[in-house]
Amino acid sequence: MNRFREALREASTLLVVAAAMGFIYTAATEKGVFARTVPTVPATGPGANTPQMISGDEVWSLFQTGSALFIDSRHDFDFKAGHIKGAVNVPLKDFDFAKSPLKDVLRDQLLVVYCDGAECNSSIELAVELMKKGFKNVRISFGGWREWVEANHPTEKTP
Amino acid sequence: MKALLSNSHLVLLTRVFLGLLFVVSSLEKIVDPASFAHSISNYKLLPPWLPMTAATILPWLELFCGFALLSGIFIRGSALLVSAMLIAFTLAVISGLLRGLDISCGCFTQDPAAGKIGWMKVLQNSSLIVLSLFLYHSNANRFTLFSYVERTSREDGQPS
Repeated sequence: MNRFREALREASTLLVVAAAMGFIYTAATEKGVFARTVPTVPATGPGANTPQMISGDEVWSLFQTGSALFIDSRHDFDFKAGHIKGAVNVPLKDFDFAKSPLKDVLRDQLLVVYCDGAECNSSIELAVELMKKGFKNVRISFGGWREWVEANHPTEKTP
Repeated sequence: MKALLSNSHLVLLTRVFLGLLFVVSSLEKIVDPASFAHSISNYKLLPPWLPMTAATILPWLELFCGFALLSGIFIRGSALLVSAMLIAFTLAVISGLLRGLDISCGCFTQDPAAGKIGWMKVLQNSSLIVLSLFLYHSNANRFTLFSYVERTSREDGQPS
């Protein structure tokens, strides 16, 4: 019991010092809690706008008009198991634009990027990368693959 | 088991391994608390105001615990904190996996390419928990800053 009490005292000391240093450092460098503006999306160069999130209904209407190219940012095994009909797989992991099927796509082509669902980030990160490569119309499906499946919209598998 | 707990070389090895791991993994989070806060909020376990506060304190706590383990000052306290942090992180990963979250771990690096959370991560963390609990229960005090200072002062005090 004495051992635990001693450990607890040491741990509290470390915790207090760490908290103090954390707040002093972030205040001095204006980071974290003390950041003046919270950047949600990294800057993508001069004149570039940021990718826009769209809802499941908007994704569906873009699919129906056929005007958008769907980009699946998940792993290739997820893509093979099922994806939005006509989508192209560009996994964020090992993203290499020069080798991706998008390198020959016109830069004003409307792209809809999606990943697993609302909790995943790869669609956002890929969308930012694609805008850096010059794509002007990039949208992110907020509900992603899961919302698409739940709505019973057309899917396909890659053999 | 008692022999293991008092084996000063084994204790030293564990201290250096865990200490270095915590120091190295804390640096990136210290420099970029916003990314770490984002990783924490991806788990969707905490109220919105908490991830940023946690991202302010936790990396420094990791750094100080790492230094404490390396120097041998406050071994027990830092081992207790390291165990608590690892247990909390592991529970977060498990709950993320059970809810089917497709998120990156944010554990040792904030690089999203470093990999998603998975059961491998749980296994890795569990072995680290075992190591930190081992340190908590260990009795070896050799190779610590205290023992070094004590020894040198004793040697200084002796008449030549």
